[in-house]
Amino acid sequence: MAMRIPVITALGYAALAVVCVALVSAGFFNMPQVNDWLFRACMLIIISTSWNLMATAGLVSLGHSAFWGIGSYAAVMAANGLNLPLAGGLAAGILAGMLVGAGLALATGRLRGIFFAIATLALSEGLRVTAMMLPDVTGGAMGVYLKPALRADRPMLFVVASVTMIASVALAALLARTRFHFACRAMRNDESAAQMLGLDPLRYRIGILAVSSAMAAAAGTLSTWYGGYLDPDVGFNLHMTIESQIAPILGGMYSVVGPVIGAIIIEALSEFTRIKLGAQEGVSQLAYGFVLVLCVSFMPRGVYGAWQKLRMRWPAAAAVEAERPGEALS
Amino acid sequence: MEYLGQLTVDSLLLGGIYTLMVSGLALSFGITRIVNFAHGEAVMLGAYGAYWATVLLKLDPLVAMPALMIVAMGVGYVLFRLCFQRILTAPPESQILLTFGLALILQNVALISWTSDQRSANPPYVLSSFDIGDAVVSVGRLIGFGTAAVLIAAMFLWLKYTESGRASRALVENRDAAGLMGINVRQMYAVVFGISTALGAATGAILCSLSAVTPFMGFNIVVKSFAIIVLGGLGNIVGSMVGAFVLAIAETSVAYYLPNGDGWAEAVAFIVLFVVLVVRPSGIFGQAVGT
Repeated sequence: MAMRIPVITALGYAALAVVCVALVSAGFFNMPQVNDWLFRACMLIIISTSWNLMATAGLVSLGHSAFWGIGSYAAVMAANGLNLPLAGGLAAGILAGMLVGAGLALATGRLRGIFFAIATLALSEGLRVTAMMLPDVTGGAMGVYLKPALRADRPMLFVVASVTMIASVALAALLARTRFHFACRAMRNDESAAQMLGLDPLRYRIGILAVSSAMAAAAGTLSTWYGGYLDPDVGFNLHMTIESQIAPILGGMYSVVGPVIGAIIIEALSEFTRIKLGAQEGVSQLAYGFVLVLCVSFMPRGVYGAWQKLRMRWPAAAAVEAERPGEALS
Repeated sequence: MEYLGQLTVDSLLLGGIYTLMVSGLALSFGITRIVNFAHGEAVMLGAYGAYWATVLLKLDPLVAMPALMIVAMGVGYVLFRLCFQRILTAPPESQILLTFGLALILQNVALISWTSDQRSANPPYVLSSFDIGDAVVSVGRLIGFGTAAVLIAAMFLWLKYTESGRASRALVENRDAAGLMGINVRQMYAVVFGISTALGAATGAILCSLSAVTPFMGFNIVVKSFAIIVLGGLGNIVGSMVGAFVLAIAETSVAYYLPNGDGWAEAVAFIVLFVVLVVRPSGIFGQAVGT
């Protein structure tokens, strides 16, 4: 691609850089509603990228809130206990996320498909009940507050959030160009066959779960710093799990930009329903349900996949496809 | 070991209700191999159906149950034809996500129609009880147990002796071969889904007088049912029945003997599920299952 149309590609990268700079600097302007929306969009982009990374390796998570919640709790407990600022909390959250991810990979070993999905569901629900039942450690149902002195000021938090988001997507984009990505794709199609080809599925599984759950944990930590409060129903929230999978499916699973597109559409949609329909309970969740059913039935590759299919009709792209089959649609 | 008699009685009664709860999901998974996350919503809608029958028509939940089961059977059949049929051969990811989406739709339709208030039908016999030795037996739960026994016996008789039951079992053995022998695969699957949904609705009719009816009650039920199914061995319907009693005994013992046991009992299903998946994914009865 780069060889064929370098000007357009260069322009694309420049536009991307401008968008990133604008996003990061948006935190310094005082636009409470825009910033709030951007913050939520960043969080959703991070967790849906994280969900999509696992899905790329054939590991469907139905308990993404487990990583989110573990990260949040580890960060808050470490920060409150040791008087750590945001950076320290973030490090603690990411570390905890990586450990849980790697631990889950080791524990679930060769579980695949539904078995893995059900295991993640059990993990997040089990953690929720555990957090509820250990009030001495986690504050239980009463919840736990971040010490006011440790909270970061808003502009700072917005900058960190957008940088974390850009870093997560960049990491996913980098991984998509490495051996790692192809190994994961091979595992998704057939883990035994991948093993025959000399891949060690367990190693890749530990890697992908550690990276992906660290991302979700980072997002959880940032959200906790934003709200300043955590309880088991906030930390291990089922809606979190649902949103993290709706966005990639809507945007386009197994691609880097898919989760980003999906997350932006979802956040725009939820803002729109909130303004138009008021705060009626259940409407946005109902819409998510329809998005899931319709996408899986009629648009399994999401918005991005549909767009690429459309683009295949353009002569230039078709030529690339003929030259290097599969690349444009991978 | 205090309260041993009471523990036995409570575990048995709870286990009976769990067998009914899990039977629908075990049947549909065992035969069609589709993981139906929306099964909990069949239970939820059945519970609301029985609740409204009690409130509006002054019917006992048990009287409303047969009618609810017939309706549910039709709905399950149609849903399979419209929706599930498309994903029969799709990768498990798509099946999980599609049924999860369906569950979300049904939950939120219920939430918007009936609010999130907790409701409960209270037929007169629910709160009465009698003693056996020093154990107290709740009449409501005993009736639930009896209904479960009748319905599950009917399900097994259907599977064993009827033409369609035999056809369903043939489909488990080998879908393609059964199709070649002239069994209409999709038609049979749709019938199985109908029966599974009917069993779900029956569970709801029983539960509506024993626990709170809310739009989100289905989620916990479906997770618990998965715990039981995995415990008994995925796809093994008899194993699921045994798993139901194992979970009931474990939950009741935790509630009785641990400090704060009532709260921890909620986690037993998840812990059992996770441990069984990690240690022995083929379950107690060790049937080998692919992915």
